[in-house]
Amino acid sequence: MSDVSIVGVGMHKFGRFGDKPADEMGREAARLALADAGVSWRDIEVAYVSTMYQPPTSGARMLVPMGATGIPICDVEAACASGGIALRQAVMALEAGAHDLALVVGVEKMPKGFINNWMLFHPWQVEMGMSANPSYWSMHAKRHMYDYGTTEMQIAKVAYKNHKNSVHNPYAMYHKEFSMDEILHSQMVCDPIHLYEICAPNEGAAAIVLASPRKARQLTTKHVTVKSCVHSLALYSADFRVPRESMSAIVHNPGPTMVTSKRAFEAAGIGPDDADCFEVQDTDAFCEMEIYEEMGLCGPGESGRLIDEGVTEMTGKYPVNASGGLICKGEPVGASHLGQLTELTWQLRGQAGARQIEGAKTGVGHVLGAGGNCVVTVLQAQ
Amino acid sequence: MDVEEEKRVPIGEGLLTAPLNPLENVRLLGSRCKSCGEVALATVSSCSNCGSEDLDVIPLSGTGTLWTYTVIRNRPPGDYRGADPFVPFAEGLVELPDGIRVLSPLGGDIDKLAIGMEMKFEASKFYRNADGADVIAFKFVPSHKA
Repeated sequence: MSDVSIVGVGMHKFGRFGDKPADEMGREAARLALADAGVSWRDIEVAYVSTMYQPPTSGARMLVPMGATGIPICDVEAACASGGIALRQAVMALEAGAHDLALVVGVEKMPKGFINNWMLFHPWQVEMGMSANPSYWSMHAKRHMYDYGTTEMQIAKVAYKNHKNSVHNPYAMYHKEFSMDEILHSQMVCDPIHLYEICAPNEGAAAIVLASPRKARQLTTKHVTVKSCVHSLALYSADFRVPRESMSAIVHNPGPTMVTSKRAFEAAGIGPDDADCFEVQDTDAFCEMEIYEEMGLCGPGESGRLIDEGVTEMTGKYPVNASGGLICKGEPVGASHLGQLTELTWQLRGQAGARQIEGAKTGVGHVLGAGGNCVVTVLQAQ
Repeated sequence: MDVEEEKRVPIGEGLLTAPLNPLENVRLLGSRCKSCGEVALATVSSCSNCGSEDLDVIPLSGTGTLWTYTVIRNRPPGDYRGADPFVPFAEGLVELPDGIRVLSPLGGDIDKLAIGMEMKFEASKFYRNADGADVIAFKFVPSHKA
C-alpha cells in the first residue's frame, strides 16, 4: 500500500488538433497540473514522460523549455499502459524517499485511422493481413458469444452507455449520444464489432503532480492517495495478442486484467465492491465486458447480464467509464491512463461536474495494450 | 514451367516444411518443448511457457477445427499483399491436434464460417518477390464444402 498522493492534475482535451505539436499539448497539461497543485516547475524534483508515438527524448524537449532545472526527465513506454508505468516509476521514487515532488506527463499525437501495429507482428503476418488492429478483440468477442451466448445487442449496450456518459465530458473527442439502432447499424469493422463500438487513436495529454506524504500535507488537505499501482504483462498464452501468432490449446492462464487487478486490489486492501467508480480500457465495447469479468465485477460469462441490468451505468453499483471511456475520449496511448486518473481524481474530489458520481471516495483505473501490458491503479480520497 | 527452374520461398523463415513442391505436401512447422510439451508456431529458440531451449521441430497437423474468427472488412494497414482492390476476408484461430491454435487467414465463404468447423491447411503462391521467386503463404479452408 502506498502513501503517495496526487496533489495536482491537468488535462489537454483528447481529440484532433491539426498541426499543434505534442510538446505544446504536454506543456499545457503540465502547467495546469502544477497550478492545480499550487507548485511551480522549479519545485519539481523528477519527471516521467510517457509516450508511444513520439521520438526518443521527447520528455526533455517538452519540459526543458519550462526551465532547464537539470532534474532527471525520463521517457517511458509500455503501449496503451504507458501512462501507468510512468506513474508507477514516480510512485516508487517517492516511496523510496529519493524525491518529494514528481511530475508525470503523458502525451500523444497519432496518425489517423486504424493503428498500424506492424511492430507487434512478423513481417509475413502484415503481408498476409493479420495485423488489422480490431481483429483480435473481435475474435475474442466471437468466442465469448459462442461460449456464453453473449449478444451483439449486449456489446452495443456498452457503447450506448459510454456515448451517453460522454455528453457531459468536455475533455472527450466525441460528445454525442447514439441510439442502439445507430450503433448496431454503424459500419461493421471486424465482425461482430461496429465502428461506434471502437475507440479511435488520437491526440492529447494529461499530467499529474505526485507528492510524498510529508510534502502532500504541506500542499493541500484535499489530496487523493495512490493506494496501489500495479503493472504486469500477460502470462503465457493468457491473451492471444501475446504471443502474436498462436496460442496454446492446453495451458489456460488467467488473463492480464485478472492478474493485475487482483494484485492492485490486494495491495490497496480493498475489493471491487469498495470502489465507487471505474475508468477502464474499452478499446472496444466487448473489451469492457471482458474487464467486468476479469476484474471480478461479475463471474465468467456474466458480463452480458451485468450490462443488461444497468449495473455499470452512472447510477449502478459499479459505474464504469463515466467519462465516456476510450470509445468517446479516443486513445492517445501515452496519455490514456493519466487521463483516466485525472478523471478519477476529479471524481474523488467531487469536481466532475455533470458526470459526478455522488460521494465517490475510491476509484479504479485500468489499461491494457500491446505486449499484454496491463496497469491497474487504485485511488482513494483522503 | 520446368519445376527445376521455378523458385519458391516460404513467406516466413522456419514457418513451412520443405520442399515447397508439391504444395499439397507442405505443412506448418512447429516447435515442441521437450521440457513442458507446449508447442509454438514455426522454429523458435526457446519455449515461452517454461524458457527451455530444448525443442523439437515438428510438422504441424494439416487439419483442425475453427476456434474463433472474424471478418476483416477494411484493408489492413502497412505492407498488406492481398487482393488489390481489397476484398474482405476472414481470419481465425484454428485449433490443431498438436495443442496449438494458429492465427491464420481463412478461405471459403465468409458468410458460412462457424466455430467448431473442420478446417484444412492449404499452402499457396501469394506473390512474386523482387528476386523472381514465388512467395508461398498459407490459409485454412473448410474441409467440407457447405
